[in-house]
Amino acid sequence: MNPLDWAVLFGWLVLLVSFGLWRSRGSNSVNQFLLAGKSMPWYAMGLSIMATQAGAITFISTPGQSYVDGMRFVQFYFGLPLAMVILSATAVPIFHRAKVYTAYEYLEHRFDAKTRALVTVVFLLQRGLGAGLALAAPAIVLSVILKWPFTITTLIMGGIIVLFTTLGGIKAITWADVPQMLVILASLILALIVAIRLLPPDVSFREAARLAGAAGKLTAVDTHFNWNDRFNLWSGLIGGMSLALAYFGTDQSQVQRYLTGRSIGQSRLSLLFNAVFKVPMQFFILFIGAMVFVFFVFERPPLVFQPEQMKRLESMPQYAGLEADYRGAFDQRQQAARHVIASTGDSSRSAAIAEFRGAQAHMDSVHTAALKLTKEDDTNYIFLSFVTTHMPHGIVGLVLAVIFTAAMSSISGEINSLATVSVIDVYKRHWHPGASDHHYLTASRVATAFWGCFAMSFATFASGFGALIVAVNQVGSLFYGPMLGVFALAFFLRRVGANAAFWGVVAGQIAVFAAAWFTHVAFLWYNVIGPVVVIAVALAMQPRMGLAVRRTG
Amino acid sequence: MNPDGEKQIVDEPPPVLGTWPRVYAFVVCYLAAVIAAFYWFTVHYAP
Repeated sequence: MNPLDWAVLFGWLVLLVSFGLWRSRGSNSVNQFLLAGKSMPWYAMGLSIMATQAGAITFISTPGQSYVDGMRFVQFYFGLPLAMVILSATAVPIFHRAKVYTAYEYLEHRFDAKTRALVTVVFLLQRGLGAGLALAAPAIVLSVILKWPFTITTLIMGGIIVLFTTLGGIKAITWADVPQMLVILASLILALIVAIRLLPPDVSFREAARLAGAAGKLTAVDTHFNWNDRFNLWSGLIGGMSLALAYFGTDQSQVQRYLTGRSIGQSRLSLLFNAVFKVPMQFFILFIGAMVFVFFVFERPPLVFQPEQMKRLESMPQYAGLEADYRGAFDQRQQAARHVIASTGDSSRSAAIAEFRGAQAHMDSVHTAALKLTKEDDTNYIFLSFVTTHMPHGIVGLVLAVIFTAAMSSISGEINSLATVSVIDVYKRHWHPGASDHHYLTASRVATAFWGCFAMSFATFASGFGALIVAVNQVGSLFYGPMLGVFALAFFLRRVGANAAFWGVVAGQIAVFAAAWFTHVAFLWYNVIGPVVVIAVALAMQPRMGLAVRRTG
Repeated sequence: MNPDGEKQIVDEPPPVLGTWPRVYAFVVCYLAAVIAAFYWFTVHYAP
């Protein structure tokens, strides 16, 4: 980081916060603060939904995941477009016509107060933890890269986010996401161009893709079915669709975005915009990781990408041996890569690829041995190590600024939704009904500050996770299934009443916890197990519970 | 404290393709095409 990088980082931060706050002027009622006065156009909501979901974690973790594991993670998003279509046809018109602030308010219209309260508690628990993790992920990485203490990094990031969200509300968040998402896309394109341009002059883009393919990094679709495999076509289509249905259909941080739309059609378009662009965008980010891998085929990567762990490793007695072994394996892999590029016939190409993969396996084994000594996964540092070491000054500052503000974008959306649910579903519903609009506006600002502080506190305890993006999705998957189940009952099974739905959610939550603790089923399937159990138990109990169906508004 | 007050909720047609079911069908076909393209990509660059 040189002065130009710092100038870009702070310049972008100030510009974005100012723009968001300027666009949010006049947010002086609850409707304006929480739902932007239902005035937002589809493109702002669409980009904001994309920015909230992506966050800093996607930027930091996804290219690294591709570097290590290839592009198969893209399958995780295959179910998302299907979910968007289902939600556009069902949830969007239902929530708009019910004239609600939160998705859980609708559950009381349809079932009863206890079902709404139960789902509210589940949401506050999982989203509260999720917001903490979403802050911890970039704070851990940025603290190492910027050489700031972790607590200070967390407090600076959290402080800016709390101030921005408390002052501007949902309008500031949504409008700030528009330039933010455009700059994210521009930085990603820049990163790919730089990665390709940094390859040796005799290695073309086509040959780079061949090398990445030879190392198995370009496997984007795996059609084999396996319950225990996290990412394949079937877990992506079925589990990924259930997760996306739950996330975009029942998680207030997303529902609130499309409730700000000025019409049902505008809200639908914002979801369908994501349906079209999300999968190609993830593919593109993963492809950058694959190209970074090829870059490091010709430029020796550090034994461990995490700089602090690397320093620790250097002081260990095993370091010299590992380093020599790694250097030998790297030279061998580079030579094998040249053979792959030069190979022409099928047999010589197969032999060269086998040699390349053998050398790659050797490098991987030395790297794994080093990680065992440092006891920390370095996946989240791969892309940033590449950016800070090999990208030109100015772009380094821009990428770090984007990570910083991407974290701001997703966490501010999350704490805004936590505040909305706390005020509408808890405070106004149970503690203080019938107060003035000004009173609830003040309560919303206080609740925003509270959840921001909660996220900062939890973030300080959340270090030590593996690939952070997976950790966040795993926390979500523990709770999303039952939430999806109860909304499916509400939308599609009119004969199921309140008590059956309530006990269905309890049974679904127990089933998901049991699956997580007692089986090795991949986490995406929790999003299928949860709703199936909720619906089955509710249908089984309904005849005994009697008909207690409410009409919705 | 109703977010819409007495405002009528409008369900307008999509800007393209005429009806929402046609837009949904387009998105599903688009997804199938994207997965097919990724499958070709995987096979083409398979080690």
